[in-house]
Amino acid sequence: MTAGALGEERPTLFLRNATGLVRGWSVRDSMIYATLSTNVVTLGMVEWTVQSSFPHGNLLYSILLSGVWVSFLVVAYTGLVTTIPRAGGDYVWQSRILGSGIGFVMAATGWWFILWLWAPIYGAVLSEEFFQPIFATLGTQSQAAWFTTSNGKFVVTLITIALAGLLVSVGMAGYARVQKWCFYGGLLGVLVLVILLLASSHANFIASFNTETHKLFGLNGAYQQVNASAATAGYVAPTFFGGTFGQSLLLVPFMMFYLLWPNWGTTLYGEIRGASDFRRVFSGMFIGLWTTVALSVVFLLLFAKTFGWAFYLNINAGQNAVSKAVLPIFPYPVMMAAWLVHDSAFQVIVILLMSLWFFGWVGTLFLSSTRVIFAAAFDRVLPDAAAQVSEKRRVPVASLVLMLLPAVGFGALYAYNATFASYTLDATLVIAVTYLFSAIAVVILPLRKPDLWFASPASKVKLLGVPVVPVAGVVTIGLLVFNLYEWLSNDAYVVNKHGSLIYMGAMYVLAIVIYVAARIIRARQGIDLGLINKEIPVE
Amino acid sequence: MKVFFATDIHGSETCWRKFLNAAAFYKADMVILGGDVTGKVMVPIVSLRPGHWEVTFGGQRVQMDTEAELDSIKRKIRDRGYYPAVMSGDELDSLNAEDGSVDRRFTQEMTKGLEAWLDMADGKLRGGEIPCILNGGNDDIWEIDDIIERSPSVSFAESKVLDIGGFYLASMGWTNPTPWNTFREAPEDVLAAKIDAVVSSIPDMSRAVFNFHAPPYGTGLDEAPALDENMRPMHGGAVMKPVGSTAVKAAIQKYQPILSVHGHIHESKGVLRLGRTLTMNPGSSYSDGVLQGAVLDLNEKKGKVTRYILVNG
Repeated sequence: MTAGALGEERPTLFLRNATGLVRGWSVRDSMIYATLSTNVVTLGMVEWTVQSSFPHGNLLYSILLSGVWVSFLVVAYTGLVTTIPRAGGDYVWQSRILGSGIGFVMAATGWWFILWLWAPIYGAVLSEEFFQPIFATLGTQSQAAWFTTSNGKFVVTLITIALAGLLVSVGMAGYARVQKWCFYGGLLGVLVLVILLLASSHANFIASFNTETHKLFGLNGAYQQVNASAATAGYVAPTFFGGTFGQSLLLVPFMMFYLLWPNWGTTLYGEIRGASDFRRVFSGMFIGLWTTVALSVVFLLLFAKTFGWAFYLNINAGQNAVSKAVLPIFPYPVMMAAWLVHDSAFQVIVILLMSLWFFGWVGTLFLSSTRVIFAAAFDRVLPDAAAQVSEKRRVPVASLVLMLLPAVGFGALYAYNATFASYTLDATLVIAVTYLFSAIAVVILPLRKPDLWFASPASKVKLLGVPVVPVAGVVTIGLLVFNLYEWLSNDAYVVNKHGSLIYMGAMYVLAIVIYVAARIIRARQGIDLGLINKEIPVE
Repeated sequence: MKVFFATDIHGSETCWRKFLNAAAFYKADMVILGGDVTGKVMVPIVSLRPGHWEVTFGGQRVQMDTEAELDSIKRKIRDRGYYPAVMSGDELDSLNAEDGSVDRRFTQEMTKGLEAWLDMADGKLRGGEIPCILNGGNDDIWEIDDIIERSPSVSFAESKVLDIGGFYLASMGWTNPTPWNTFREAPEDVLAAKIDAVVSSIPDMSRAVFNFHAPPYGTGLDEAPALDENMRPMHGGAVMKPVGSTAVKAAIQKYQPILSVHGHIHESKGVLRLGRTLTMNPGSSYSDGVLQGAVLDLNEKKGKVTRYILVNG
């Protein structure tokens, strides 16, 4: 038997007219989804403020390095999507390849419990990139300042939770349309910002920044104050291309906060597949990831040109509590750029346009959680009631309660407990652990499910005769293990604190307890949960 | 009585073999396959010269030089749910050129494949000792009905009520209209009349079990990706919409059987209660060679489903 390349003129298969034969996924749609997931505005601009945690780290290099490294994760996940193209993503792959217990624990922690923490994080972003700059720009400083208080943060978290919960209730149909328009509106905002930053000189910015901060906050010489504050604290910003490789590498675990999510939409992929699907699925995620990386580079170059690189890092050092903060609110780059035009209406419009990056994404906050809860209930791990929906309005009441109530509790903790709020990167770590198990699954897939693997288009993607997907899985494991090691061993990321470890550990314990309890209770009812993924012999 | 229910295996020989082994594996007293038995794809294997063939499968062109190699590749194709069709280059060209010739060849391969499956069933089901029930689905051609009806080892349930150990199984493979205009589709009012016609012969509705291929509308058992006019999933597949049958839902609500099993929408695995009716769709992953199904304990004395579990066998 010999095998050769494709490329014949005669048809190689015939399809008859039957249900479900649809054309492949649109690369554009999945690219938009991936770009919004690795959100340069809502997550990127927030996370860039931490550079001073590793003062010799180069932000640009860490982003590029992260982009290259996460590209391997994109290849690994494309392999999983095209081999087992099931809605449910990590839960389905891990359950089938590694076992039901691992599948449940990893899905429950990474796609459900940790989303309780993402709710207040999104709330904080809404406060920092929407409410604070809007109210500040409108000259109502007390209201802007209120959003930096515990009460303000909590109320915004409640708004975020309500918004996400409402969208779960009413469905994605209308929101998906909104999401697309938000993306295009957000891109328009980026264009306005780029023109503004390109057209303005560094001197213009200094003058505008000082004028606006005086007008809005009564500050004098704020630009100079920011730089002086950093100098007093002993923080010396590296040049744009400066810094050390070692510390740039240590910034990578921070950058995962926004760059680790190009595969967020993989829980949605259905059963459609074909020889060309590998390229299509890969392209959607890869272009999405690198659109974010490219936008990051463009923004940073423009900040360096117009804000001044040292100033941008210095003001972030203030936000990162390395030096004393001069601005009383989050130093949102969009707001600072909008100050180049001394017109409140224009400034508000720019901030509103860029807020579309937030509103286009926040609605999906609880989407995956509902799916995991439903899947676990259908697998009898959770009580049947967890998957029940009201007959009239189709609202998943129980799963909403399971998501919203804990999210409100964690929102309160995040708002009123500064120590808990510092555990922000726990939200990334726990999902990274889930990804790690999927990466392990993709590496052992050819051994555990050889028939499935060899029938998959993913097995045909080779470089020098070596299948690319399992190799990408190994590199992904390297990425995730490196990050996990750094998060857990290096104090700079704050996640290895006693309370943080207890918090994360408790989530895994909770998932394990639920699974073990379900096994015992169902066994008493005469239901063997071990049967769920046990394969029937073929012969 | 323990029943194993699966559906929508779409020509996957791996899933069919698993289905036949499911009774022994799950210690079930009966197995039911709820429609869409036949596949959707035919793969031409071109005969180059006597003893030599060529096929493009899984993205690779493969040449076979022995009967054993040919049999091996045919098995791989069938395991995926595709039909291997051996033909000359001229035949392949004429399939391409002549109207209706692809459909005729498809029908030939589907009926041949089904007959082979039913022969297989005879041995696996101990010559009919384990009851095995099959019905059509909207994607199944009409020609399969007679073939299944003639089989000594399986019972053809389409549009019939069968007594299954003290319960009454009413089956129907028809669905509400789909964008693909398949074989067993009818408008909702016609579907409602068909359902009523079948259900009317159930002697005791408190012991009724519905086996309708179409899931009830708007129940979460019927959610499929919304498609645009070019049959492309909208918004990256993020938007799902209910595509089930309102007639099926109304029938469940009206007659309240103890159990109602469905298929049709592969991605919409789920379970819910509609009044007193336990309603489920075990979904399908036939192309992965995974047989999704439901293991159900029907208690004859209590007249209800006492246990169930959805499995990925």
